[in-house]
Amino acid sequence: MTPRALAFTLNGRPCRTSAPVHWTVIDLLRDGLALTGTKYGCGEGVCGTCTVLLDGEPVRACLVLAARLDGRALETVEGLERDGSLHPLQDAFAREGAVQCGYCTPGMLLAARALLAEHPAPTDRQVREALSGNLCRCTGYVKIVAAVLAAARAAR
Amino acid sequence: MRLAPFELAEPASLGEALAVLARHDGESRLIAGGTALVPMLRLGLARPDRLVSLHRIPGITEIQSNGGGLGIGAMATHAAVRRDPSVRAGWPLLAEAAGRVASPAIRASGTLGGNLCYAESASDVAPALLCLDAEVTVEGAGGARTVAVGDFFRGFYETALEPGEILTRVRVPAAPPGARSGYVKFCPRSAEDRALVGIAALLVVAGDGRRCEDVRLALGGAAPTPLRARGAETVLRGEALTDAAIGAAGDAAAAEADPLSDLMGSADYRRDMVRVWVRRLLLTLREGDSAPLQR
Repeated sequence: MTPRALAFTLNGRPCRTSAPVHWTVIDLLRDGLALTGTKYGCGEGVCGTCTVLLDGEPVRACLVLAARLDGRALETVEGLERDGSLHPLQDAFAREGAVQCGYCTPGMLLAARALLAEHPAPTDRQVREALSGNLCRCTGYVKIVAAVLAAARAAR
Repeated sequence: MRLAPFELAEPASLGEALAVLARHDGESRLIAGGTALVPMLRLGLARPDRLVSLHRIPGITEIQSNGGGLGIGAMATHAAVRRDPSVRAGWPLLAEAAGRVASPAIRASGTLGGNLCYAESASDVAPALLCLDAEVTVEGAGGARTVAVGDFFRGFYETALEPGEILTRVRVPAAPPGARSGYVKFCPRSAEDRALVGIAALLVVAGDGRRCEDVRLALGGAAPTPLRARGAETVLRGEALTDAAIGAAGDAAAAEADPLSDLMGSADYRRDMVRVWVRRLLLTLREGDSAPLQR
């Protein structure tokens, strides 16, 4: 089976690679590019832990074929920090104690990043709606919502 | 867990896509956003030799309105439909329903055409399109044909698509002037879940503010396919919008429903929820303009 050649932007940098055509984005990230920050959960688009940003919109890395990356911009949790400093959302999650086991955290961060890009000053309800597709089985939602609201305040 | 291997075609034109389908009839599956198909592949419920992705076909994601009508390319995502200014202004019922599909990440990948072709009974957008008298353009080797959305759903996960055909466009005529509309999605488990029942309604209140001039009502999750509740419409059309008349419309919709039982709920429960939510939605629309009951 011929691999599909791919050229896309990964966390702000050009990326040229290839992937078997039956690979989804998460296969490419974890196994092709050794970027294991994106977690594999249900594989059916339900749990949200593999959420990444494609052209700024949240998508499920387990549902999107790797071929769909060509020519587009992908952002993963590895792209959040800048010059060794945590992204304000990461900082807020740490400060608020919004991480328990941590498995949902990468997806939560990227879903929240998409929200803050569209609504820099979201309401509590908007945060909950934006995170409605991201499950935390430690059920630590209260602090996760608080962290997103804190990051939004810190950015103002 | 990897998907089982398949070949992938990424045709750059509709003609090329139709040719691939014709060459590999029965061995190929079309893929749009993949939000329904990829889980089926993952679970082994479908084992196609080849996927044909439609994402490179020019114009297939475009949303255009002119002359009072709306045209939406089959590959427009729910997120794009929801935020499109012309859809929000002229067809708020469709924008509202698109905004209730699953979760933000699913809305950013899942497409309007893919949703219709999957033919899920509990589709959020199908009841809205049924109320709006939408139709779809289906293209095949023999040319294009137009199918009303009401005729497109043929049975449980079954559509009017023939082998080798592709749904390319959804066309929505202008909504009746002054219509109020709303969509309620009843999710007993969690917000991003499939609807147990979903109800879309469009109501035109007569000039006196008390009589139903026109009404359209459609149900999701209430039958093997999304369903236009024409019996309930007949009960209410032309009548004074009293509590009793609205209750009778709810009863009629429940009588028209032909729900299935599954892990989410029994057929009896679904039928009862149709009765309850049709009544609540119509009561809300009677009182004011397009006030969603949720969110």
